[in-house]
Amino acid sequence: MALRSDPEKLLRQVMARFVREEVAPVARQVDESGHFPRELFHKLARMHAFGLRYPVKNGGAGGNATLYCIMCEELAQGLMSLAAIAAKQCLMATNFLHRFGDQEMRERYFLPALRGELVGSFCLTEPEAGGDLGRVSTTAVRDGQDWLVSGMKTWITNAPVADFFTVLCQTDADKSIRGLNFFFVPRDTPGVSVSPGFHTLGTRSTEISEVAFSDCRIPGRYMLGQEGKGLGALLAILAEIRAMTAALALGLAKAAYQAGFQYARERSAFGKTINHYQLIQAKIANLATEIWAAELMLYDTTRKIDAGQRPSKESMMVKYYATEVACRAADEATRILGAYGYSMEYPVQRYFRDARFLLYGGGTHEVLQTNIARELGF
Amino acid sequence: MAREAGSFLGVAVLVKQVPDSAEIKMDPQTGTLLREGVPAVMNPDDRLGLETALLLKDGLDASVTALSMGPPQALDVLSEALAMGADRGVLLSDRNFAGADTWATSYTLGRALERLGQQESLDLVVCGRQASDGDTAQIGPQVAEHLGWPQVTYVERLAVEECELRAWRRLPGLVQEVLCPLPAVVTVLASPVAPRWPLLDRLLMACRSEAPLEVWDAADIAAPAASTGLKGSLTRVVRTFSPKSGRVTSWLEGSAGEQAQALINELRNHKLI
Amino acid sequence: MAIWVVADKCTGCGLCAKACPYGAMLVEDKLARLGPRCTQCGACLGACKFEALLSDLTQEPAPDLAGYQGVWVFCEVQQGALARVSLELLGRGAVLAEQLGQTLAAVLLGHQVENLVPELAAQGAGRVYLAQDPGLADYSTLAYTRVLAELVSSHKPSVLLVGATPLGRDLAPRLSRRLDLGLTADCTELAIDPQDGSLLQTRPAFGGNVMATIVTPRARPQMATVRPGVMPLGPRREGAACEVLRQVVALEPGDLLPRLLASQARGQKPADLTAARVIVAGGRGCGGPRGFELLARLAQALGGEVGGTRVAVEEGWLPAPRQIGQTGVSVRPELYIACGISGAIQHRAGCLGARYIVAINRDRRAPIFSVADYALAGDLFKVVPALLAALPGGA
Repeated sequence: MALRSDPEKLLRQVMARFVREEVAPVARQVDESGHFPRELFHKLARMHAFGLRYPVKNGGAGGNATLYCIMCEELAQGLMSLAAIAAKQCLMATNFLHRFGDQEMRERYFLPALRGELVGSFCLTEPEAGGDLGRVSTTAVRDGQDWLVSGMKTWITNAPVADFFTVLCQTDADKSIRGLNFFFVPRDTPGVSVSPGFHTLGTRSTEISEVAFSDCRIPGRYMLGQEGKGLGALLAILAEIRAMTAALALGLAKAAYQAGFQYARERSAFGKTINHYQLIQAKIANLATEIWAAELMLYDTTRKIDAGQRPSKESMMVKYYATEVACRAADEATRILGAYGYSMEYPVQRYFRDARFLLYGGGTHEVLQTNIARELGF
Repeated sequence: MAREAGSFLGVAVLVKQVPDSAEIKMDPQTGTLLREGVPAVMNPDDRLGLETALLLKDGLDASVTALSMGPPQALDVLSEALAMGADRGVLLSDRNFAGADTWATSYTLGRALERLGQQESLDLVVCGRQASDGDTAQIGPQVAEHLGWPQVTYVERLAVEECELRAWRRLPGLVQEVLCPLPAVVTVLASPVAPRWPLLDRLLMACRSEAPLEVWDAADIAAPAASTGLKGSLTRVVRTFSPKSGRVTSWLEGSAGEQAQALINELRNHKLI
Repeated sequence: MAIWVVADKCTGCGLCAKACPYGAMLVEDKLARLGPRCTQCGACLGACKFEALLSDLTQEPAPDLAGYQGVWVFCEVQQGALARVSLELLGRGAVLAEQLGQTLAAVLLGHQVENLVPELAAQGAGRVYLAQDPGLADYSTLAYTRVLAELVSSHKPSVLLVGATPLGRDLAPRLSRRLDLGLTADCTELAIDPQDGSLLQTRPAFGGNVMATIVTPRARPQMATVRPGVMPLGPRREGAACEVLRQVVALEPGDLLPRLLASQARGQKPADLTAARVIVAGGRGCGGPRGFELLARLAQALGGEVGGTRVAVEEGWLPAPRQIGQTGVSVRPELYIACGISGAIQHRAGCLGARYIVAINRDRRAPIFSVADYALAGDLFKVVPALLAALPGGA
């Protein structure tokens, strides 16, 4: 075997440098602008980042879930909204198109999305349906060769800037979750309307809004996947979505931990730097331990995904755990920084706000904990 | 041998793996550098050199080979060079190369460049101005002398015209435009545009066994042990020690006004004002 | 140097082939043979059980260094005048030459530069090697390398010092490679070993964290470059005489490379901090341009220049040529006032040559205080105005 570099180490190094040189200097400004970070989005596209987890023959980079999560983790250390946007473009926004789109959809939407020319979005959540997909009320109804999509989706990341949507619809209400199917709806389809962006506590430059579909006519081939197999198609990537969310959490936890660690060694109180105080040491020791645990859990899960398994329980556990660690890390970092943790001039307040985004993305913890217990046969 | 106008341009870029200076932190208590766990990265000036060379590929039929000398893990900088667009990477790695000073390093690199030149035509060698872990800026000129080629240092922009190289050198307070026949060696301190980011698809490709990466040892470049590494070095480190200031610090206490007055008195005593 | 096989003793056992890291030892017909991949590393020598391998590898011929005499300083001409660093090197070179009991010589290359000879003598040069030619009017690497190499080869000095200017950093490594000499870059100290008279060249290593003393045991002259501002000027000897040796220059067309087409001034001429008598420097603690305005007023009142740390330059508070430290310039003013500078090793390395260092910083444990002669723990925004108020012409 010829001597070769380790792709995981190399990717991590490149993304860490990207964050340091391109993201960190503008992170505060991007966050305060509240707008989609188009320049950084294009820089990532030019690195061919959005095709990271797709095969080379399909225009991707030939990576896998582990590499994808490494990239998400590193980006999240710089700016959560950018990381979330990139994560979505790599996976949820393009995955159904990749798996089920025809040649025309591939040329017209999929490859341009990998090049960053188009932004994709993924519409799952509805005002009355979050974790319980059985209550999805957006419908797709056959009309000759076409489908008519109608309904309301909410909390849709990237919707205000999206060029196309992958929409979960009910085609046969009698079948409940077996009637769920995904449909491809370009933004310019008559009947699509996108609300103004929501005002949110964190991830302020991730634009999130509602999307309403009113008798949107799309051709029959825009049904993504075989009829009745929508839920299965979602389950095929659900573990990876949860692992990705855990990776975002892990990145944020590391950034918050680093900020606290650094500050504690510089800040003096009562004649010595505060890292000499046991209460501060306890915080740092706890966080480092939890971050290590989350990292082991995360990459154990991604390696299972890469081995072709569907680690459903593990992915829920790590999403739940890593997010809790991120929230704690952000909280403790703001405490270590004292009043500076409260100042908008330091990034720690942003970690604190952005961590809350992770609590519901990929399923609320209350739902996840219930599901974990169920998978344990409890 | 002079290059024919309009023909293929063979370019080699010298890259070095160095400790990431942005990641080196200081112990605030002792003031010493914490080097443990510092990642090794591509020397920043070499990244500029690589960008400069890759830009030549846009307008010419050119091929760019990245060449490095170092331990096996230095292959990472070559993988990154491939990801940025280099066509080929060659790592010079051999236990006998360890401990080289700039003479022995330039000899080893020079032998490898000669071999590259035998394999395919080599018209231009691009180096970064200096390595961030040594700051000697000697390798470029020494390699040029080894090859017997002219050199252009401190280059911020260059263009290949027919059989010549036009380069703009950035010196303190001025820019020089110079002309130099090919083959030649240049050292760069800037690139016309910021160095490109590696492409992730190429990055992963560079990690596969079919990647155009080679490892050469001393025998591959017919470099005698007596001319490489520590044995081939002409300089020897005989002592290392911590820098000491030897000053006796006087603390000037009191209010700002009192401190200022005390300092002014001291400066007057020493006839500094 | 070589390794050879004694055919009578070789049994063809193959132990040497196993020991060879390059697969260069071939065993054919029960006889070992050195293949083309041999690097003469000597790894096989210990492996042979039959004394069948012989080598002269250990016999490193001791070079005859006694014939090399004299301390040389390459003197750079900038716009018709001698570069300050060359004068600094003459100052240091005079001390070294005296310790060696040898002559200090200046090497002057250029066109119509003879008028600079008296100044070289005044700075301590007992001899001047003068090479004048129209082709040397502008610096070109190959022409200067040729002339200097010829001078060194025919006169065999023991030490050759070059200023680490852009020109010096272009020329010195080229020359060192041509003559197979060692070269130590950016020395901060030069001394003579009292034992054997060799040149002890000390430079910062590992980012200034340690100092390394380097020698050149088997090549002469011992070459070193020194950055501007590191060495003090020597005493001036007005009207001193010196011997002038003229070198005949015979350049070839291929020597005038690279060819200078045009030269254009760009940016403001960088302030010469290396020649400043007083420097007021600021770091992160200055907080921004406002802090530096304050420092500029203090510098003006003291007749000095403003400098700063890498952080100050990166923040855009100060132009890059005013950066002091490992990656900026080294300075040696009479008075150095560090304001709001914590004193990272990289910065300290650039200001240790100052005669007096004053540090003003809020943090009493800042490393800058460990190198300061006068330490003022306090807020620079209070102390500096107080200084200005108390200084004549400061208010």
